[in-house]
Amino acid sequence: MSEAQLSNALSGAVAISGVGHSDWIADYAAVRGGTKPYDSFGYAALAFKRALEDAGIDKSEIDGIVSGPPTAHERMCEVLGIDPNWGAQADAMMGIQAAAMAIHSGMCEVVALVYGNDQRSAAVNYGGSNAAGGNAFLSYIYHAPWGFTSQGALYAIMLRRFMHDTGFTEADLGQVAVAQRLHSSLNPNAIMQKRVTIEEYLSTHYVTEPLHLLDYCLINDGGVAFIMMSAERARRGKRKPAVIHGIGRHDLSRDATSLVPRLTNFYRPAQKKVAEQVFNMAGVGPRDMSCLQIYDSFSVHIPLALEGYGYCGYGEAAKFFADTGISLERGLPVNTSGGHLSESYMQGWNHQVEAVRQIRGECGARQVPDCRYVHYSSDVAGKALSIIYGH
Amino acid sequence: MIMTERVFIEPQPTSETQTFWEAAKEGRFFIKRCDACEKAHWYPREHCPFCTSMDTKWVEASGEGVIYSFSIMRRAKPPYVMAYVTLSEGPTMMTNLIECDPVALRIGDPVSVAFVETAEGNALPMFKPKAGAVR
Repeated sequence: MSEAQLSNALSGAVAISGVGHSDWIADYAAVRGGTKPYDSFGYAALAFKRALEDAGIDKSEIDGIVSGPPTAHERMCEVLGIDPNWGAQADAMMGIQAAAMAIHSGMCEVVALVYGNDQRSAAVNYGGSNAAGGNAFLSYIYHAPWGFTSQGALYAIMLRRFMHDTGFTEADLGQVAVAQRLHSSLNPNAIMQKRVTIEEYLSTHYVTEPLHLLDYCLINDGGVAFIMMSAERARRGKRKPAVIHGIGRHDLSRDATSLVPRLTNFYRPAQKKVAEQVFNMAGVGPRDMSCLQIYDSFSVHIPLALEGYGYCGYGEAAKFFADTGISLERGLPVNTSGGHLSESYMQGWNHQVEAVRQIRGECGARQVPDCRYVHYSSDVAGKALSIIYGH
Repeated sequence: MIMTERVFIEPQPTSETQTFWEAAKEGRFFIKRCDACEKAHWYPREHCPFCTSMDTKWVEASGEGVIYSFSIMRRAKPPYVMAYVTLSEGPTMMTNLIECDPVALRIGDPVSVAFVETAEGNALPMFKPKAGAVR
């Protein structure tokens, strides 16, 4: 089956009708001060309550639950007080894809997707010899004896090769951190709201050279939830829904442990397939997008996604930054909330909140004028996934 | 100033990698090659990742390669150089670059294997720039 023939039946069928999240700024301060507002379930439950209020529905309407990776599914349903007809444990993107299929196929009608993570207060280490099951799990941890124990090292090695191949520079990469801080300075929910200049970016220390401190995402506690239902039902609700016009996925699992998909082709084959899937499904193209939300555990995701999804040619990200721009001030705004670098590290969940709010037009000072389509992409953990949101 | 000595995480041999780690202790760098499709692969596996044949066998690699990319771990104590090195047999492996000036390293530089002993007597294949290499 060609990419163009995939899953067209889902286009326009489902929508996000409500979003909610915890108080990232207050919780960040509390955790740094040595207190712990909630555990992962508590953050998720708070976000869930706010998402219900935002959607204007009662808890009794929920008959499907997706719980995020950190929280056991059965326990999550117990905490929320829900006995669903359908459920899954999944990250943000796979959860949305699964919920869309479940709703469209009639397995359930209204799904709450909930995520809570006490990663900062629990000192979760996304690297190190004991990460991801340590030596029992065959992932990049396989290379721990050589000192390859962090995601930063992986992205730094990739970035250096990308720079070598394309002429991209550290100052080019710094445009990402600068733009996203401009955006977060206009976002009252963002943890980091202080604007930075390119000079300030370049003067911060290297962590894994050539990655600077400001190329790394935050690590903070929090929760996010959203409510999904059929687009038809959502349009009868009190809030303007964000309708999913395109959704697609392609995995690169072969030679994952050897890191070949990431390091030798930058996920390009997967992005190319997913671009065909979602743009064909939605009947639009890169030029129709009002803004992008890109999973940014590291800043280097942004130039790679812009190239990979066809916003510019391979090796042309620096030129795109210079000629078009990626900020609210100029060009195609990317990560209008500040993203993982500056708003909150909610592992792709907070990007959906921002996409919904941009479609609704409720982003205040950082609102993209006449926002018609928002493209979300994540390219992590062996998977490229994308959603096209619209009206 | 006293330099902090680097501490390595000890390798945990599995049934797939036991032979590799035993050979490393003798200073020999083994990789796996498939008898069915004749391709070499890294890391060592029982099933060939290219054709899924189980006819994979150990071969001693040349120990020669070129730098695909690298990163200086600036916050580590002491700092070290992670690198992805493409072996002359074909596969690319995660390793370290040693006995080098980190800021003088370039992608494409030729390197050769050198073993570094761990506290428990294991040996890690790492790579150093080839002497007299012309850039």
